[in-house]
Amino acid sequence: MLSLYTFILLIFGLAVVLDAKSSSGNSVLVILDPARRPDYSIFFDGLQEKGYDLTFRAPKDETPVLIQDDIPSFAHVVFFESDTKHFAKDITPQTLVELLSGKTNLLIALSQKQNLLTSFAPEFSLILPPPGSSLLSYFPERKENNSVVPIEVPSSSNIISAGTAPVWFSGVPFVLGNNPLIFPILNAPAESFAADAEGITPDALADAAEKGGEGLWAGSQLAVAAGFQTLGNARVAWLGGVELFSNEFAKKEISKGVKSGNQQAAADIAAWTFQESLVLRIDSTTHHLVNTSVPKEHYTINDVVEYIAQISRFNPNKGKWEPYSGINDLQLEFTMLDPHIRTALPPVPGSPGKYAVTLRVPDRHGVFKFVINHKRKGWTYLQSSTTVPVVPPRHDGYPRFLSAAWPYYAGAISTSLGFFVFSALYLAGDARETNLRKAKGAKAQ
Amino acid sequence: MAAPSSSSSSSPVLSLWKAYHQNTSDRLKFIDSFLIFLMISGIIQFVYCVLVTNFPFNAFLAGFSSTVGQFVLTASLRSQVNPENKGVFKDVSPERAFSDFVLGSIVLHFFVFNFLG
Repeated sequence: MLSLYTFILLIFGLAVVLDAKSSSGNSVLVILDPARRPDYSIFFDGLQEKGYDLTFRAPKDETPVLIQDDIPSFAHVVFFESDTKHFAKDITPQTLVELLSGKTNLLIALSQKQNLLTSFAPEFSLILPPPGSSLLSYFPERKENNSVVPIEVPSSSNIISAGTAPVWFSGVPFVLGNNPLIFPILNAPAESFAADAEGITPDALADAAEKGGEGLWAGSQLAVAAGFQTLGNARVAWLGGVELFSNEFAKKEISKGVKSGNQQAAADIAAWTFQESLVLRIDSTTHHLVNTSVPKEHYTINDVVEYIAQISRFNPNKGKWEPYSGINDLQLEFTMLDPHIRTALPPVPGSPGKYAVTLRVPDRHGVFKFVINHKRKGWTYLQSSTTVPVVPPRHDGYPRFLSAAWPYYAGAISTSLGFFVFSALYLAGDARETNLRKAKGAKAQ
Repeated sequence: MAAPSSSSSSSPVLSLWKAYHQNTSDRLKFIDSFLIFLMISGIIQFVYCVLVTNFPFNAFLAGFSSTVGQFVLTASLRSQVNPENKGVFKDVSPERAFSDFVLGSIVLHFFVFNFLG
């Protein structure tokens, strides 16, 4: 029996190791015309090697459906077929949003043609150039078409690994609106611009430049790849063009003898989208009075309380969650409507993944919450809220016999003593008077 | 009752004091001295509260109200045992007045010490 149990554990452990690439599941649906599948085989083979389970679906196929019985059928959806005008009836902006609510991650490639994505992208604060435009650049001088642009990978990017060679790009750039949840992964080169590849003439460009660039989509504020993380931590990667992931660009040399970084960049973007990289979670949070270890049901005003959070980061190489102490700007709030206390929640040196802070509960009773709300671009949002009531001291919880109150105590005690002495003397006087009167009466008789 | 006017008393205050001295029984003077003690005690506590601290406030309330309450009870006793007021308090004998005073004071002190904390 024991051996069976260990065997099951072993199988389970193996399964975890084999499955272990994404923190949110391995099933991937790729929406792509089967005829074009070989064009992206390097990318797809890379995913399969990592352990992803790819399912392909032509844009007009009815099955497999994206959402079955209100439950998303796949953990990730790759939307490469964007040149198509019409899709099967379950592929609509509404279903894509529903997928995101169901924590499905999306990898979406835009195209110059108008289709459902043209209306879907603005919902993510992506502002697309006029239809038919693509990214053009005359620099650096090269033998390729002007619409095939080499793009340097920013060194500060935490999504694409450092040291990746420049990548080839061809497709639509876009401007990012002011939605705080979207951020650029790759920006267009400074000297590039968006225009209709046939319609643009040097004269028109010069005119636009004379007007201060008005009406010209240009410069490094344009993005060619952007990430969007919903409040529910589903991730969407927007790509200006699907060619970024193609075999052709992956094999193409960026300069003589140097392979382009497309393969690496594609794998990194997919890794971010599929919840492999920059994935955090709060394992547990707890709170207790200092010098005790058990959480209290409620605290009294002015108590000194310690709050502890345990945070892990997903390690895609091992497929395991590991304690993570690398967050230096984590904050804790103690709120009742407003944060009464907002303080840094620093990592505890020596204990990995542990963040702790000691704080004094405000001199104010009510229902308070310990709140962690950590949103950083690219990283999983960390949100945690623990409700604790804060009560005033019990009737016997106040300090007693204070030295400052001795005049009052003395006053009350002296009044009581005075009352006893007074009553005694009064009665004594009464007796004396009676005796006196009796004596007088006797004398008179 | 008016003090007998005397040509030798130059100031009305002095004549008032003299009249009080002559015409008040020892018993009432004794009650008055207790009243003065209570008044001074109350004033001291009030001044301490205003100038130094009113914390803990319940102790101040207890100490101060014990002097005020005792003062009121003692003043009632004084008016009830005063032979001059016999007409007003026909049904209240001096013994009855004193027992009322004692009972009231005990209840008062019970509450005061409960509240003093």
